[in-house]
Amino acid sequence: MDTRTGSLPGRVRLLAGAGAAALTLTASLATPLNPSPAQARAAGDGEKVLTVAVAQSVDSLSPFLAVRLVSTSIQRLMYEFLTNYDPEDARAVPGLATRWESSPDKLTWTYTIRSDSRWSDGKRATAEDAAWTFNKMMTDQGAATANGSFVGNFRKVTAASPTKLVIELKKPQATMTALDVPIVPKHVWEKVGDFSKFNNDTRFPVVGNGPFVLTDYKADSYVRLKANKTFWRGAPKFDELVFRYYKDQDAAVSALRKGEVSFVAGSPSLTPAQAASLEGEPDIRVNDAPGRRFYALATNPGARAKNGQKFGDGHPSLLDQRVRHALFMAVDREAIIDKVFRGHAVEGEGYIPPRFSQYFWKPSPARKLAYDPAKAARLLDRAGYRRDGDGRRLGKDGEPITYRVLCHATDPNDKAIGKYLQEWWGELGIGVRLDCLDNVTDPWLAGKYDLAFDGWSVNPDPDFVLSIHTCAALPATPKDTGATDNFICDERYDELYARQLAEYDPAERADLVKQMQARLYDLGYMNVMAYPNAVEAYRTDQIESITTMPAQAGNIYGQDGYWSWWSAVPAESGGSSGGSSSTGVVLGVVGGVVVLAALGGFAALRRRATAEDRE
Amino acid sequence: MTTETTTTSPRALARRRRRASAARFWRQYRTHRAGLFGLAALVLFALLALAAPLLVGSGVSNVTDAPGRPLQGPSAAFPLGTDQFGRDLLGLLVWGARVSLLVGLLAAVLSVAIGTLIGVTAGHFGGWYATVMMRITDWFLVMPTLVLAIALATVMSRSLTTIVVAIGVTTWPTTARLVRAQTLAVETRPYIERARALGGGHRHIMTRHVLPNVMPLVLAQTTLIISSAILAEATLAFLGLGDPTVVSWGGLLQDAREAGAVSAGHWWYLVPPGIAIAVVALAFTLCGRAVESVLNPRLGVGR
Repeated sequence: MDTRTGSLPGRVRLLAGAGAAALTLTASLATPLNPSPAQARAAGDGEKVLTVAVAQSVDSLSPFLAVRLVSTSIQRLMYEFLTNYDPEDARAVPGLATRWESSPDKLTWTYTIRSDSRWSDGKRATAEDAAWTFNKMMTDQGAATANGSFVGNFRKVTAASPTKLVIELKKPQATMTALDVPIVPKHVWEKVGDFSKFNNDTRFPVVGNGPFVLTDYKADSYVRLKANKTFWRGAPKFDELVFRYYKDQDAAVSALRKGEVSFVAGSPSLTPAQAASLEGEPDIRVNDAPGRRFYALATNPGARAKNGQKFGDGHPSLLDQRVRHALFMAVDREAIIDKVFRGHAVEGEGYIPPRFSQYFWKPSPARKLAYDPAKAARLLDRAGYRRDGDGRRLGKDGEPITYRVLCHATDPNDKAIGKYLQEWWGELGIGVRLDCLDNVTDPWLAGKYDLAFDGWSVNPDPDFVLSIHTCAALPATPKDTGATDNFICDERYDELYARQLAEYDPAERADLVKQMQARLYDLGYMNVMAYPNAVEAYRTDQIESITTMPAQAGNIYGQDGYWSWWSAVPAESGGSSGGSSSTGVVLGVVGGVVVLAALGGFAALRRRATAEDRE
Repeated sequence: MTTETTTTSPRALARRRRRASAARFWRQYRTHRAGLFGLAALVLFALLALAAPLLVGSGVSNVTDAPGRPLQGPSAAFPLGTDQFGRDLLGLLVWGARVSLLVGLLAAVLSVAIGTLIGVTAGHFGGWYATVMMRITDWFLVMPTLVLAIALATVMSRSLTTIVVAIGVTTWPTTARLVRAQTLAVETRPYIERARALGGGHRHIMTRHVLPNVMPLVLAQTTLIISSAILAEATLAFLGLGDPTVVSWGGLLQDAREAGAVSAGHWWYLVPPGIAIAVVALAFTLCGRAVESVLNPRLGVGR
């Protein structure tokens, strides 16, 4: 946000005012929000710096609390996980563990921990650290906030020797080679008091054993990481990795054009217009790949806590499945793909994106809640929500229904689709009020919304995104924060979830996961509208090569691993690029208009002024 | 037959006097060329805004049945191109004038109303009341207006009313100061003392004697504040604090920015709303200046 148009005294304000709106434009164009000049290849001592423009705020740097994409991606860089995913085909490959095997009853898993991984303070990373991490999550509610779903089924975790980790399970668990849990150094973290409050941002550098070491962080300003030269897989090619904040995506794009940043991830991706304009630029490559996110409209099913207490103020009509289905059917997903994403997305079906073909499920034509406003209206009539004289649907309390839709003020897609919703649902006689907030977390956690724009990145193992809709993920009390996405709690779904978690046969498990998606679809709480592509761009004169995941047509930012940043090779020639011509034209035109308007105004006012002065 | 047909009644006299002063005002206003330009521009925009339902129709802001493809350049069908929904930008520009002008007017009226109320009462009563009121005014005067408006717009729900209130309650202090000074000057005049001696109460003095005398100042001030209110509205909408479902000029700029029109170089999306804002703000300023120099007795000799 640009707040540079402060108040100036008297006449100057009127003058400057004449073109202030246009000026805010040029200001946001010419100067990014950061006062200090950004440097992509920076540093006089020849250090190679990779600067990435991001927009999403870090929720926490603590591996026990962080759930946002930016934070979990940074965790990947800071800490080694037991296993990693192969960038080619996402199968489990060694991470901190070199080998793993299970007992014949599949209830005891033994991991061999590598001996060549060291914490950045020199101590060796051992099985003891891993055991402590898991034990902490099993015993401390606060430490289970983010990744509790992985350890809910653990009976006992022990370190038999520094290189041998043994995990005993209560029931078989399918995610044992996909435990997306950062292993933290015991000797540092055992001093932490309250895990639900500690954000890991007090002492730098943060001790870790990943490919990068976190050296500095300033909220919504930057995250700075240094290459870990002793990383067991080999040191990263860049010396430093900086995530720099550009809350304005256009500013990030112009920073990329000017070479101030090497990579723009977009929030969540570049707009079609931006991608189209960057495609023609020299030294810039646009990467448009099937994403691993789903983009949905989540319904408030009546927020409640595990202790049974209800809270929040979701609209009671949404508790009726027919109403949810009607809303579902009044959303034209094809139009969203075509008009809003302009083809840079795939139409939403079940829950898990088609990129994970193994788990991808789509409803049969008979089951599908296809776009059919007439049918939706009939369904609402049948559910007892009838129109009044003005054509508005009345709730059971006799008041016209108006849903509050929580949207992210930073995501243009939310607002754009909100406008469509307003018209589609308006046809049904249902009002829509868009609540676009910079911080949606507070009303969300408090259950104070009716519907909300929602989206998650899906891991190769879908356990996590499935777990956030189970009853176990609900907050313990209304005051607590649970791992739940939007308070869904359904017995049948939970039963299927437990069964898939215990299923070791991949085909059987995939089938169960599909059944879960079908159940979720039928419930109508989650309307998955699209699977947006990852549309990102980087400078080829700064980054010579970078690994996408999957290797063919994959994304770079927000991978299930550290491959992209770890593998990025700095380009030899640090050719700096000139400003783009089209931006120049816009700048020139806008600037010219402003100057003309200001001059005109000034001339007029000068004449008045002399008249006054003469007196 | 009553006497009204032969002799002039006091009411008719007053009417005639007002007509004469209006004519005098217009004669003097006419001599300000910049003021006339401003007025012409305003009349044009006001007509456009009023006739918008006939010219473009309310359907212009519909996204579901938008006529064009997203982000088309200017063409015969769409003289200013289309936005990211495929809506006609020229139509949106005309439609957006309604909101921008309405919010500008309402916010200015609110701001001036608050300022006048506080200014007149503080000037009239004096004493501790005036001290307290003026300190509050000072406090608002030193607060950065835009930051305060942003804070207000953030905590309240997103709607046009919010924007009006946010602008209104942050821009009144200058008016309050001006009006208070004028009130003090008016109240030292002998006829006020006479009115008081004849039994005129506070209310009578403030509404019958002080207010008519500060009115010219207030009028000029309103015209000037409208332009800054329109700018403030555009700024708030541009910063994403407006109602995203309402079409306004600032909102159009914000939409353009979010669609990435700046980096894509889609000037037809950015420039027209910017020019419209600049022209209207300038027009109001020119009018306000002209009105001010006509009405302000201190400046009256100049021309």
